[in-house]
Amino acid sequence: MVRLLRYLAIAVLLALIVTGLLYWKGTRLAPLPPATVDFAALAAPDRAALVARGAEVARDADCVACHLDPEGGSELGGGYPMHLPMGTLYGTNISPSREHGIGEWSADDLYRAVAWGVAPGGRNLYPAMPYVSYHAITRADSDALYAWLMAQRPVEKPSRRPDLMFPFNVRPALSLWNALFRPDAQPFAPAEGEAPDRARGRYLVDVLGHCGECHTPRNLAFAMTEPALGGQVLEGAYAPDLQQNSMVRRGWNPDDLIAFLHRGVSPQGVPTLTMLPVLQQSTSHMDDASLTAISTYLLGGQGRAAAALPAAVSPDPAGRLHYLGLCAGCHGTNGQGQPHSSVPLATNTTAMMDDPLNLVRVIREGIAPQELAHGERMQRMPGYAAQLSDQQLAELVNYLRQQWGGRSEVLTAADMQKLIKAGPAH
Amino acid sequence: MADRITFEATVNGQKVGPLDIPADLMLTELLHEYLGLTGTRVACGQGVCRACSVLIDDGVAGSAAALTPLPACVTGAAYASGKSIRTIEGMAGDDGQGNPVPSAIQQAFLDHFSFQCSFCTPGFVISAQALVERLERAPVPRDQVEDTVLAAMNENICRCTGYVRYLGAVRDVVLNTPGLTTGDPEPAVTAAAGPAAGGRG
Ligand code: FES
Ligand code: FES
Repeated sequence: MVRLLRYLAIAVLLALIVTGLLYWKGTRLAPLPPATVDFAALAAPDRAALVARGAEVARDADCVACHLDPEGGSELGGGYPMHLPMGTLYGTNISPSREHGIGEWSADDLYRAVAWGVAPGGRNLYPAMPYVSYHAITRADSDALYAWLMAQRPVEKPSRRPDLMFPFNVRPALSLWNALFRPDAQPFAPAEGEAPDRARGRYLVDVLGHCGECHTPRNLAFAMTEPALGGQVLEGAYAPDLQQNSMVRRGWNPDDLIAFLHRGVSPQGVPTLTMLPVLQQSTSHMDDASLTAISTYLLGGQGRAAAALPAAVSPDPAGRLHYLGLCAGCHGTNGQGQPHSSVPLATNTTAMMDDPLNLVRVIREGIAPQELAHGERMQRMPGYAAQLSDQQLAELVNYLRQQWGGRSEVLTAADMQKLIKAGPAH
Repeated sequence: MADRITFEATVNGQKVGPLDIPADLMLTELLHEYLGLTGTRVACGQGVCRACSVLIDDGVAGSAAALTPLPACVTGAAYASGKSIRTIEGMAGDDGQGNPVPSAIQQAFLDHFSFQCSFCTPGFVISAQALVERLERAPVPRDQVEDTVLAAMNENICRCTGYVRYLGAVRDVVLNTPGLTTGDPEPAVTAAAGPAAGGRG
């Protein structure tokens, strides 16, 4: 008994020491790289140029995606809910309001928050703020972003407190998570021999664009893991695999990828679910050089013309009748679609994905009318949850995947039930 | 695609078929060209305006499908085959001597002068009928009628913009038909639109 207690005491002591060490590591930040501008001595034209560059950084980093006010009126006022397994977080007010926003912050404070995830006073940000991706932001971009943020209109609106379950609501505990999963802030630099175009694409995808936050699988601690950009389900939607081989298999090529990110339309489909705001607020504003760089990084110059991938099995005949009955009126008997109103399905990648979640959700829930970008739009797609039983839904999903998606699996009504439950988190 | 299907269904209570039709025939064409039922209108032809709405009952008792109007212009006959379809021609009743009697919704649209050119009217009748039948199963509190009517009719487009008179007519039918609402019945709302309810132009 005494021996057992002794072991227990040692174990507790060790746990305390490890926790202490992790806490120490998680709260210790390397010295910050020095500011690239002297804000106090900045001449008006230089400030204007810096603010313009900062606006680009904000678009590239898609700050608005999470910090906008969903009730409208401001892109930085905060309040956008993010529904996560551990509770709900709300985007914060990052307008230059002195009371509610970041009006009192210095350029160093902004860099520390963006690259290290630590706000003034040592307050840990939740990793929903993608500092794990932003850790490689350059100090010049962080300073330009600072100039832009400080030039915006202050929004006098308090940030909404996170609504998380224990222990996730204990902010200091995030230092332990940081010790294990946060890379040290390290301004981005091209790798040895890396072409400038590819390096720029890598910076846009992995750092500012923080694409991996949705597209990279997460481990049990909700930290990004291998393979990078390998695809995962988050907030009830499948963010597809963006690895080169997988994209080329689904019929992506540089021209179509650039069109998709610019206008939101390509033979492979349109951005839906959580990707639509990314188009509207971020990628559609990028210039040609940035989009080309992204395509170079993701596709490495490879590509395949958009085309159906018929499976080796013959497509579900019952599913075909559901297709002709409910889908063909807009998407065409042969999946050809109609320009500016309904996407072609024969070349659409959604039926080609490993995970049928998005296909099931779109069929059941439909899609609101989409104002894409640069004048492109798609009309509303109705949801067919009321018209299709789970069995019929499975038949339709099987038909679409077998006819055009190159997938031979036969999914069942029970599979549909599972996918429906995995659907929208809210 | 040259393949064909055999179509059999109940249309406005009458057995139809078996008919040999192209597998990808849309319902509007089936109704117009094969069955001579030309009351269902086609305006946009792409599922946006709801002029062509029909009701399709999948035969599953209590299913929501029956009470969701579907646009016949983009709904394939393949979906309707084996089911029970109701179109504008099936909305009116009968006085027992073979004379048609307008449904409550149809009468209300006449009383309210809801339509002008009437091209959209069959679709509005179908959407309103579906709403009435939904409320028979699941009545709503009286103070939610306005919003419920708007939500049910919101997809229907009228180029003559008679929305106020259409919506007012549906609201009156809902408020004055026992069983469609819950809570205290208020004094009956007048059936005919007063001058204040105008919405032309
Ligand atoms: S004609 Fe069918 S919805 Fe417009
Ligand atoms: S009455 Fe003319 S379109 Fe509605």
